[in-house]
Amino acid sequence: MAQNFDVVVIGAGPGGYVAAIRSAQLGMKTAVVEREFLGGVCLNVGCIPSKAMISATHFLHKAQHDAETMGITIKNISVDMKKLVGWKQSVCDKMSGGVGQLLKGNNVTIIKGEATFKTAKEITVGGETITAKNFILATGSRPIEIPGFKFDEKDILSSTGALALEQIPKSIVVIGGGYIGLEISGILSKLGTQVTVIEASPALLNGVVDPECAQVVQRKLVKQGVKVLTNAKAKGQKKSGKEFEITIDNNGKEETLKAEKILVTVGRRPNSDQANLKTAGLQIDDKGFVKVDAQRRTNVPNIFAIGDIACQPMLAHKASHEGVLVAEVISGKNRVYDVKTVPAVVFTDPEIASAGLMESEAKAKGYTDLKIAKFPFAANGRAVSIMETDGFVKMIADAKTNILLGVHIVGPEASNLISEAALAIEMGSRLEDLALTIHPHPTLGETMMEAAEATLGHAIHIIQRPLNRGKDTHP
Amino acid sequence: MATEVKLPELGEGVTEGELVKWLVKPGDTVKPDQTIAEVMTDKATVEVPSPIGGVVKELKFKAGDVIKVENTMLTLDGASSAATPVKHEEKKPAPAGATAAAKPIPAPVATTSATYYPPVADSKVLATPSTRRLAREMGVDINQMKGSGLAGRVTREDVMTTTGGGMSGGMDIVREMPRPAYQGPAGAAEERIPLRGIRKKIAENLQMAKQIIPHFTLMDEADVTELVKMRESLKDYAEKNGTKITYLPIVMKALIATCRQYPMFNASIDDAAQEIVYKKYFNIGFAADTPNGLVVPVIKNADQKSILELSREILDLSKRARDGKLKPDEMKGATITITNIGSVGGTYATPIINHPEVAILGMYKISDKVVLGSDGEIDVIKSMNYTITADHRLIDGAVAANFLKEFIGRVQNPGRLMMDMY
Repeated sequence: MAQNFDVVVIGAGPGGYVAAIRSAQLGMKTAVVEREFLGGVCLNVGCIPSKAMISATHFLHKAQHDAETMGITIKNISVDMKKLVGWKQSVCDKMSGGVGQLLKGNNVTIIKGEATFKTAKEITVGGETITAKNFILATGSRPIEIPGFKFDEKDILSSTGALALEQIPKSIVVIGGGYIGLEISGILSKLGTQVTVIEASPALLNGVVDPECAQVVQRKLVKQGVKVLTNAKAKGQKKSGKEFEITIDNNGKEETLKAEKILVTVGRRPNSDQANLKTAGLQIDDKGFVKVDAQRRTNVPNIFAIGDIACQPMLAHKASHEGVLVAEVISGKNRVYDVKTVPAVVFTDPEIASAGLMESEAKAKGYTDLKIAKFPFAANGRAVSIMETDGFVKMIADAKTNILLGVHIVGPEASNLISEAALAIEMGSRLEDLALTIHPHPTLGETMMEAAEATLGHAIHIIQRPLNRGKDTHP
Repeated sequence: MATEVKLPELGEGVTEGELVKWLVKPGDTVKPDQTIAEVMTDKATVEVPSPIGGVVKELKFKAGDVIKVENTMLTLDGASSAATPVKHEEKKPAPAGATAAAKPIPAPVATTSATYYPPVADSKVLATPSTRRLAREMGVDINQMKGSGLAGRVTREDVMTTTGGGMSGGMDIVREMPRPAYQGPAGAAEERIPLRGIRKKIAENLQMAKQIIPHFTLMDEADVTELVKMRESLKDYAEKNGTKITYLPIVMKALIATCRQYPMFNASIDDAAQEIVYKKYFNIGFAADTPNGLVVPVIKNADQKSILELSREILDLSKRARDGKLKPDEMKGATITITNIGSVGGTYATPIINHPEVAILGMYKISDKVVLGSDGEIDVIKSMNYTITADHRLIDGAVAANFLKEFIGRVQNPGRLMMDMY
């Protein structure tokens, strides 16, 4: 017997499960189809497990390096990798279980299995036919494989395999210096692995984050013992004994690196080659994204696509926002994807977080006259007291109106500071709005207020030269 | 291979239509441009052509279904090449005796036409997320707004005080209205049908007009003895020219001439911009009763047409209004409206202004009346009542009184219409 729904969501990641819950909240008969695990990549093999590993290794690193300075002596620090991985798994299980409860509590039918489109109105899951008035495609993305480095998830790893390692490798070569590669490099390096990062472009996190922010992270990685090779490409590998020999092109010269494991993090690709999307009549662009409009409607009017399968940026929180949006569109509300910024966070040490435009983007958008300034964490009392003073808050504003265009943070808790910037940008705030909002002392958040003041030319806790405060900055 | 035929754009602001009936069935051979279905929108019933030819394979909807624009209506097998693209037809007055059905604008080929309105806010628009959402829900294009705040910031109040849908005029506005529930007594003999289509649009438009416009109505009576005589004398001539003369086109001419004297009657208030818009053209709407409800066909540039031409156009539009076959464009853009319920009865009414217009003229039944003439003699005259209902924000009571006096002067002495001729 075919089951019929108002809304069937395919994929229970951060886009899909949110879309399902909101659809159900709006009174629509909803099902979600998931082939692997509730919460998707994010909760199971992506964001959440990597953050568990990062917080554990950050803790380890502080115990090894900062505790002594604070007068705390800890002897015989060791890592029980099995236990660490077990704890990480318990975090994931807790979150994934929570998603299941939320879905059930909202009367969303959970269907386990792989969905395949038969027509634009019909899918099959494990031989069963399911029809729906509307489909929400939220099938996400997967790591890109490169020729000669086929994932076996034992020795040649994607992020999934790297986060599931049960033993600390002696050495690893990380191909790709993007945010996933650097987050895992940080984890492994702190666990004692000799890490070499190979990045094809001239800089780490190239084009993704503010270049000055990336430099801070690169310096710290190198200080931590990570070897960073830019303008370098991996050519091939062969196993000799227990180790890999990896041939690389390092700035035009061929070299060979040795490592126990290889991690390939060169990006992710949309899963648009799966689930028989062509049968449903969906158009797919040359980058593999399903074509959608501002309501995230595909060319087939009853099929929507959200998250990594639909468009950049491939970020969980963008997918969740789209999930809510699409559920409301289906229920008849007038909604479009209408945001000024999708904040982004890189959980390196220190963290990088950004909202709004980079300087280059602002110029490309026609803002010719910009005010840009930085406020360093070294001048913030709280940062000093937690011994994490690397980094700064950088603000970019339109000099004509003082309207905030972009905020780029590299430093402690950047991830938790950026939401204020995102709100400020969405609200169309001026620098003065941030500067005139009292920020509690002593907190890392004061750096936001001070950075706004610095951009206006008169921060209190740094000496700004030239003292360009002749102009009235509070018109 | 089956080719999909989609519901084309049916007019500005129209996003869906209710399928009235199919004119083809599976197995039928369809020629390019052949009418395949009748679809009722909230503005009119339109005939939908197939842009291509082929054999009908599958009908995707059944009568009564609501189809969204760009949804596939049916599939064709062995589709022939696309029809020659039909150009967007210029609105010419329909020729005498024209019965041609409304031809919808053909669907644009292979464009992903947006299913949402208004467009997405530009990244440089300064407005908070909640204000952007409010504008969307009110149907206001925030990109077109001049914000009152610092650096052009669009505030919540800016959005609240617009009349919405600024570009296309008031007919497309959908406001958030209070929607109280009605629960009848248990077991009462009641029937519920969805408030949809034309009826829904009428409800929305009139409710909005009543909310926005402070109405007032002035009533007077005219001695139309001469007018009746004149019309009688012209009947034969009109018939020879293939039409039937009614009072409506003559009243239209009197109305236009009076509006030239009092331009504030042929105007609009742009609430968003806080400006009065005086219109230098005369598009006269006339209320028509149809089986589906009230519609208001519009005679464009009525000042430039002869009474004979107006007669023909009124007859054509009325007929097609009754048949539900007016094009959306034929019910848009009126600058002032006439409501004529005289043929049915009633002495006076208090009509509602067709927003964004600012006045509506009412004309009522002609009756014989005994009056005391100026010379002390008792006369029998033909009497006709008129009302002028105006937007009090723009039009003062005394102005309306003068307007009505001048207007009645014209209908009492149709010869005066000659004096107004261009």
